[in-house]
Amino acid sequence: MRFHTVIVGGGLSGLVAGVTLARTGKRVAIVSSGQSSLHFNGGSLELLGALPDGTAVQRPLEAAASLPEEHPYAKIGVSRLPQLAADAAKLLATVGMPMQGDVSVNHYRLTPMGVAKPAWLTMGDYVTLERPDVLPWNNVLLVNVAGFMDFPVNFVAHGLREMGATVRVEELDVEPLAARRASATEMRAANLAKSLVSGSAVSRLASAINEVAGDNDEVVLMPAVLGLDDDHAVTMLRAQVSKPLHMVATLPPAVPGARLHTTLRHYFQMLGGTYLMGDTVQRGTFEGNRLTGVHTAKLADTVLQADNYVMAGGSFLSRGLMANYERVYEPVLDLDVTAPTDRAQWTRYGVFNQQPYMSFGVSVDRQFHALKGGEPLDNVYAVGSILGGHDPVKMGDGTGVAMLTALAVAQQIIDN
Amino acid sequence: MAERTQLTSISEDNFEQCLKCSICTVYCPVSAVTTAYPGPKQAGPDGERYRLKDPHYYDEALKLCLNCKRCEVACPSGVRVGDIIQKARMKHQGHGPKLRDMMLASTDLVGSMATLVAPIANFTVGLKPVKAVMHSVLGIDKHRTFPAYASTKFETWFRRHAQQEQGRFMRHVSYFHGCYVNYNYPQLGKDLVAVMNALGYGVHLLDKEKCCGVALIANGMYGQARRQAQTNIESMSTSVTRDRRPVITTSSTCTFTMRDEYEHVLGLDTAGVRDSLSLATRYIFNLIDEGKVRLAFRSDYKRHMAYHTACHMQRMGWAIYSIELLRLIPGLQLDVLESQCCGIAGTYGFKRENYETSQAIGSGLFAAVEQADPEVVVTDCETCKWQIEMSTGKRVMNPISVLAEALDLEATAALNK
Repeated sequence: MRFHTVIVGGGLSGLVAGVTLARTGKRVAIVSSGQSSLHFNGGSLELLGALPDGTAVQRPLEAAASLPEEHPYAKIGVSRLPQLAADAAKLLATVGMPMQGDVSVNHYRLTPMGVAKPAWLTMGDYVTLERPDVLPWNNVLLVNVAGFMDFPVNFVAHGLREMGATVRVEELDVEPLAARRASATEMRAANLAKSLVSGSAVSRLASAINEVAGDNDEVVLMPAVLGLDDDHAVTMLRAQVSKPLHMVATLPPAVPGARLHTTLRHYFQMLGGTYLMGDTVQRGTFEGNRLTGVHTAKLADTVLQADNYVMAGGSFLSRGLMANYERVYEPVLDLDVTAPTDRAQWTRYGVFNQQPYMSFGVSVDRQFHALKGGEPLDNVYAVGSILGGHDPVKMGDGTGVAMLTALAVAQQIIDN
Repeated sequence: MAERTQLTSISEDNFEQCLKCSICTVYCPVSAVTTAYPGPKQAGPDGERYRLKDPHYYDEALKLCLNCKRCEVACPSGVRVGDIIQKARMKHQGHGPKLRDMMLASTDLVGSMATLVAPIANFTVGLKPVKAVMHSVLGIDKHRTFPAYASTKFETWFRRHAQQEQGRFMRHVSYFHGCYVNYNYPQLGKDLVAVMNALGYGVHLLDKEKCCGVALIANGMYGQARRQAQTNIESMSTSVTRDRRPVITTSSTCTFTMRDEYEHVLGLDTAGVRDSLSLATRYIFNLIDEGKVRLAFRSDYKRHMAYHTACHMQRMGWAIYSIELLRLIPGLQLDVLESQCCGIAGTYGFKRENYETSQAIGSGLFAAVEQADPEVVVTDCETCKWQIEMSTGKRVMNPISVLAEALDLEATAALNK
């Protein structure tokens, strides 16, 4: 089966590359081993939150100039970042996911643990803050759904109080959400969202919120338990609640991330893209420095052939990279991986300390050609979290690297 | 020692690979509409940890699992969540099947009897009083219409009208037709023969074909399922090794059951036949892709259709073959619907206690069909066909029947001489 480009990995970077290529009329296939780690995303994308030494970043495009040369942004070239960042925001608006945020200065998102973290773009309905330590409100009404455990409401309230607000917490006991308590194990954000689609269900929720809202409350914050497929339910709710209303992401699987994934995938398929969900690329066939085809578990003897291949399989969590007691490796094509051979150097004492393995990744040249046996492959690129050279957790740049490297590589493929 | 273990240890059904990420719970069609089911993570890997300690932890609510396998499709870690649930049912389920479940599951027995008296059987099960008795006494939901039985079985038609001329072809395949084609809808089998003959392939029945057993597995009749599976594996093995004929099918569920459930759930060895067993759309697509056959389409064919990806088709990852094949038809405007469960899941939706859940699960798909408003819905699964026809009023066809309709069979035959 022939394609212009085959993308291995269907998360943020794979979808962004796929949409960008499919928009130019290219025949593109994405192969995804199950659902992606976007389901862990709380509705914000980040460009750069901190430098490698831990210094907080306010102005990500300016700060990017001081990044070390192994950082993916340095490989792209700092001068190209503003345009790529603008392209990324435009792409999200085009697919139907408009975001708030200014590329020149970070804003802050509110995590499910009640902590402010730097962000670049945040979905329209979610909390954004101008500063990490000050809230725009003095009096906050924080509501939760009775019995919903994926929203640690006391942590969130504590975080908001630390930022100087007076916080009132209310529990909503309202149908059809109350009925969900019958199944403790399945009372999750996505299932609640599936119950909150119809106008009548949303109206009942709105009334319940209005009932507990007091005159002093300036804003209502609630867990993101609606809007799994689109923003209709959230828009309806906001129109009916008497106070300004914002969502706070829940613990995963998170509704906003799932929606971002679904929205991108739908757009890709609408453009004619082929999305093979639940299949796994297992190996490739090479001729010299060119990959000529890849084999998947499900398609067996049907080889996926393409002019270009993009490796977007993510990091250890998504099995784009793997490790055992002997080595760190890339499981599909056995690409070169930048990681020390001595296992003692992979980790450091203290799980919350900066961990070396977070910066491991597939070795690439300056055009993101993946290396195999020390040589760059002509038609194989690596994008997103499979790349090393930075610590996405400590630096707050994982989703930015995913989008910008995907755009840079897709653009390069189109220009070729 | 520990170091070597870590390099080689692989647990059954990838059970130990579960990261507890809970992504499967986002995609379970059952827990989305009912709280009676504990969800794939709890029913599967989480519950299994407890069941391994003490079988007492088995939860009868696991029978609400549709076996759609959408949890396995969603799992980023390759855990066979659905298989863990099916095996737990097989191991721990307290009671044997009810009379109703045995009737629903015994497709060969009931089908053979019903085709003998098809007009009477079809008339009788459509009568309101009969439906009322089936609903209240047997627990077969009154909203359901039984698929009509044919008066002549496919196998009978084939032996009388088609078998003799199959020898004149150079290349050959065996056809596992399944119960639906044999007892209810022989036309699909006739379409398959017409298409394969036009491509230059002779079509043959297996030495002995039994129901694939999907309904037996679903209804807890594992012993009979295993016996029928062994017969099918032997017949397919004979076809593949003795006759050098690969086996093709027109039902995604039969195919999935024989390729994957035989091994994963029933514990049977399918290694000799698995790679030679394929859905006809996949087989034909690969022939075209490899340049071995060519198609000629009718110039006057103009239709608007929507393709529905059945759950087991999604699990096999093969929808792409049917979709790409349909896209070759010049006059066909094809909408591909978002892949979601129709709710019937074989015999599940026929049971009175499951009717409401079944329709609630399917509501998303029904709305999508109405929005696309095609002349015909295309799908590779016969039970999805019943559910969509009953719930949307749209006609539903198998891709092979669409192909038979769209092809200029004579011109195609001339191209593949």
